[in-house]
Amino acid sequence: MKNKVLMGLAAIAMVAFLSSCGKVPQEKIDATNAAITAAQTAEAGVYVPAELTAVQDSMKAINAEVEVQKSKLFKKFGPVTLKLDATLALANKVAADAVAKKAEVKKEVETTLTDIKAVIEENTALMKKAPRGKEGAAVLEQMKTEMATIEASVAEAQGLYDKGSFLDANNKVKAAKERAVGINTELKDAIAKVKGGKAKPAAKK
Amino acid sequence: MRKNWRDLLIFAAIAVSVPLTIIILVSLTPDPPVGQVDYAREILSKAGTSGANMYSKKLYTQAKNYYDSAMVNWKNENKRFIYFRDYEKVAFFADLSAKKSTEAANNSVSSSSNLIIKLKQKITTLNDLVTEINTLFTTYPLSSEVRNRISNGKMLLEEGEIAYKKGQYMVANKKITDSEYLLTASYDNATSNLKNYFKSYSTWKNWVYKTLNESKINRDYSIIIDKFSRKCIVYHNGAKKYEFETELGKNWVGVKRVKGDNATPEGMYKITKKMDSGKTKYYKALLIDYPNDEDKARFRAEVEHGTLPSSAKIGGLIEIHGNGGKGIDWTEGCIALSDRDMDVVFKIAKGGTPVTIVGSMLELHDVLER
Repeated sequence: MKNKVLMGLAAIAMVAFLSSCGKVPQEKIDATNAAITAAQTAEAGVYVPAELTAVQDSMKAINAEVEVQKSKLFKKFGPVTLKLDATLALANKVAADAVAKKAEVKKEVETTLTDIKAVIEENTALMKKAPRGKEGAAVLEQMKTEMATIEASVAEAQGLYDKGSFLDANNKVKAAKERAVGINTELKDAIAKVKGGKAKPAAKK
Repeated sequence: MRKNWRDLLIFAAIAVSVPLTIIILVSLTPDPPVGQVDYAREILSKAGTSGANMYSKKLYTQAKNYYDSAMVNWKNENKRFIYFRDYEKVAFFADLSAKKSTEAANNSVSSSSNLIIKLKQKITTLNDLVTEINTLFTTYPLSSEVRNRISNGKMLLEEGEIAYKKGQYMVANKKITDSEYLLTASYDNATSNLKNYFKSYSTWKNWVYKTLNESKINRDYSIIIDKFSRKCIVYHNGAKKYEFETELGKNWVGVKRVKGDNATPEGMYKITKKMDSGKTKYYKALLIDYPNDEDKARFRAEVEHGTLPSSAKIGGLIEIHGNGGKGIDWTEGCIALSDRDMDVVFKIAKGGTPVTIVGSMLELHDVLER
């Protein structure tokens, strides 16, 4: 009788053991989620959005896999743990990439801001030399208005830069630079035409 | 011996019944909709990659919420005793999520394609509008507010184009829409102003006709100033003899109403005085009889109606003079020619030579076409 009871208990213990041998790797899940949050805080969504989406998708797949295992009588979290390790490493990489990309864009904005300030300065000097013949002065007046808009845009871009919105600042300052360079080319062409005209004696009347 | 046989039988029964029990237990476990959830997740991810989160935001958000609901339900079911679990809702939400994701992705592809086409067209149209504005209004006295709006519109268009080139279509759309608003509003404002101005065209045409006729009858010189094209045209015996570039008052559009308004008057005038070098600070000058009777009558009517203050003065001393060639409308209402051109006009002009100043010798339609 004693033996039967012991054997029954052994069978129950075996079933209990088999059904509870897998434990949710909660610490790793928490660590990976924290790493993804850190990547988001590092503005991965702004600077490396595709990478962030990929890591978020991986985490979603892991969460589903956890539930799959939890749905089973005999749970097995080994493969999930391996995937978590890989996703954690990926999340850390995404955070690092976001920081690097942000620094790169920041540097780009700084360079463009320096460049455009030089172009604005050059344009101001060129305007004094530009020909004021037929409609020239009217065009210069228009250019002055546009230069004022460009300067306002540069100030806006500087404001965005100061706030840390480097991507927005980059778009704004690039557009301002394109316009400033356009005006610079127009001014140089107009000055060159006059110089060229004077250089040709045949053009004199 | 018998006891040994009994123990063996018991052991054999246990050895068979334990795996059997396990098999029965496993087979009775409800299956979660793994395939459906995986499919929903894949489709949702694809929808996101196709830009549905931007171009089909509502559908994408619904799909995402349904997927989250499926997962929440799955988690909740997993908390229950294994044989009491029911994954029907999980499957339901997963299917719904997949359906919405597919709709969002399809919608996003068509929306983004449409948006790209729309943006490309708008960029072309707005650049054409900028060219037209530059052609028509560079020398037109627009208010500084309108000029600033045009300038801001151009800047936004540039920003929009940069965003478009980078594939940031939603950002490009916002910038280009703002640019469109500023540019079209400014253009409409300016053209409506222009159309209003050209309402006097029939009067101008009549003046020009009379002036040319007079030149023909008298076999003498007449001068016509076309303000819009900035031309000073000298006719002799009704035929064009010379054509010169002119510069006008800073606020040249419309009639001169009052002293100090920097407007160049419009009407049929005559030269009253010739001032050679040394008698004017503008190289040489031809004084005209502004204000004439019509100008005086209009001025009086404006004062009487209160549209001009009683202290207002009508102004005068309108001349055709030298010192021009600056390339901008800079006078206080006079007509400036380059000194070389002034020499020619000064030579042919005499007291009584007709000087007719009109807004334009061409109709607005022709001006715009030109």
